[in-house]
Amino acid sequence: MNKSGLLIRLAVVMIFSSLAVGFISSQLFYRFTYLNEVDNSKKQIAELYKTVSATASIAAYLLDRELANEVVEGLATNGVVHGALIQFDKEVVSTKLTNKDSIIQFNLHSPFEKGRIVGHLSMVPDLVQIEIKAKKIGRDNAKALFAQAVAATLIAIIIVYLLITQPMIYISKSLHKIKPGTSKRLIIPDFHQHSELGGLVHDINHLLSNTQQQLAAEQELRDELKLLEKRFRMIFESSQSPIILMEPRGSILIYNHAFTHLLEKINLDIKKNFGALLSELFIEHESLVQNVRVAFANNEISTGEYQLISSSKDRPMWVQVVINSIVSEDMKEYYQLTLHDISKRKKELEKLNIRANYDQMTQLLNRHSGEKKIEKLIYNKQAFVVILMDLNGFKEINDTYGHDSGDEILINIAGILKNSVRHDDFSCRWGGDEFVIILTNVDKEAIRTIVKKILLKIQKPYYLSIHQQEVSVGASIGAALHPKDNLDMLGLVQMADKAMYHTKQSKVLGNNLDITFADEVHD
Amino acid sequence: MAHLKLTLLIITLQLLSVTALATEQDLVVVVNINNPTSQMTKSQVIDLFMGRYIAFPNGEKATPIDLIDNNHIKRFFYQNLVGMSLARVNAYWSRVKFTGRVKPSVKVPSEAGLIQHIQSSPLSIGYMERKHLTKQLKIVYALNE
Repeated sequence: MNKSGLLIRLAVVMIFSSLAVGFISSQLFYRFTYLNEVDNSKKQIAELYKTVSATASIAAYLLDRELANEVVEGLATNGVVHGALIQFDKEVVSTKLTNKDSIIQFNLHSPFEKGRIVGHLSMVPDLVQIEIKAKKIGRDNAKALFAQAVAATLIAIIIVYLLITQPMIYISKSLHKIKPGTSKRLIIPDFHQHSELGGLVHDINHLLSNTQQQLAAEQELRDELKLLEKRFRMIFESSQSPIILMEPRGSILIYNHAFTHLLEKINLDIKKNFGALLSELFIEHESLVQNVRVAFANNEISTGEYQLISSSKDRPMWVQVVINSIVSEDMKEYYQLTLHDISKRKKELEKLNIRANYDQMTQLLNRHSGEKKIEKLIYNKQAFVVILMDLNGFKEINDTYGHDSGDEILINIAGILKNSVRHDDFSCRWGGDEFVIILTNVDKEAIRTIVKKILLKIQKPYYLSIHQQEVSVGASIGAALHPKDNLDMLGLVQMADKAMYHTKQSKVLGNNLDITFADEVHD
Repeated sequence: MAHLKLTLLIITLQLLSVTALATEQDLVVVVNINNPTSQMTKSQVIDLFMGRYIAFPNGEKATPIDLIDNNHIKRFFYQNLVGMSLARVNAYWSRVKFTGRVKPSVKVPSEAGLIQHIQSSPLSIGYMERKHLTKQLKIVYALNE
């Protein structure tokens, strides 16, 4: 049987309470009986006094100790009296007295004069006897009550078992067998159609019905959600653009196949965190972070194009990055990143750029972009030199060996120029057989050295393989310094042109100058 | 209740005796003229006649002289002194005698004999009608005062 089952609890409670009631009531009965008996004994003693008062009075009146003794002894034989005492004229006649506290005293009058007190009769009630009696009554009462309590407990247990426990066990067992959401219901136990248990079963059945309905509704909703989720997943997974959901600190929460594919392309394995905003993946990640910060500060979606880090330099990868800040219902912030591969477009743009800015044949900057670069240097107030170079003897080669050979010569010279200038400097094809070289932050001495080097290379005989013929060209060079000679591009170029002409003239005159500076030309 | 009835009865009887008998029975308690005692209270008289004390207040041994029964003076005396009939007085004595401690008084057959006895014995005490008082006797207590 269950230790904390209703029956055991009921039995324990009833037995303990009946014990308590028995104990208290026996105490009360004892107390009550005791007081009652004391009262009774007082009454009996008063009666005794009435009975013996005549004789006792005579004894006291006649100062007769023997008679008094007789009275006292007679009283002591009575069960109610523990001891008695007669007192007259300074004399005391008494039986053995132990308990003088509860003494009861009566006056003894003269038999002949009613108002004249001739002595006293005192009696002590037998409290011990009374106590024993009271205790016995109390004990008997307690026994009776205990027996009654035991009987009541047994009856209550049987009734509770039959009326409550058994049906409840039945209900509980039945309930255990029922799975929520099914159509099975509890059966109301016999004789409980209108009892509280019946009500409970009814309520449970009601609850079961509600649960069934609710579960069915939930199942339906779940199915719908599943379908929806499947579709969303389809959108997400089949997207060609990588989509990533991350926490602001960079922990990736979810990503699609396209993202892993992208990582494969740049030879990286997927990991949990690529830094905030995937910054580890981008070359210019500082500008990405900066742009995102500005966009979010303006409550805008951040959009930008960034180059991905990549192992192969000749195949740069570019993506358009769209970053959206999402705040969830529980006030957490998430970043949604969508990447669009724009490498192809970038490449085409690059190509277009090259076509627009470079001379197709020599792959040097064309005149248009050269001018733009010079304008930019002027705008930045940089010191530089414009070196204008015109080939000598090129027209002859072109006429003799054809355009292809001429082109070959031009390409060769372009290669020489490319290799002769520093990274920050540049050279461009100005038109026909004219070239412009721009050198920044140089003095005349350095210019002369470079020019000499270039001229040496240009003047080296060139072997035309188709014609199996060695040819050579020369060059006339003029230079104008910014900002010393002039401040605008056109002026600089004109001055360099004039200087170049001066060099050309010197060759005719046999002076053979390498270079003429604009300030050396005098009109 | 019974007690109250008895008390009422006694009071009625006493009243009757006072009004009906006082005129014809004027009793006094007397001693020998030579007895030093000159005055006694009712209690002292009762104590002597009912056996409590056997001495006068001054300590001298006293001998109460009583009349024999069937004497109307005696009946009147006890009725007035202790409020008891002679039957009850006798019942008292028979009870007291049983213990053997007290001896009842000397009994004489007539009032004349009683006077004679007291006149010859200075420590005797007795009761009589006032009208029969002699010069050898002295009143120590009067019943109707």
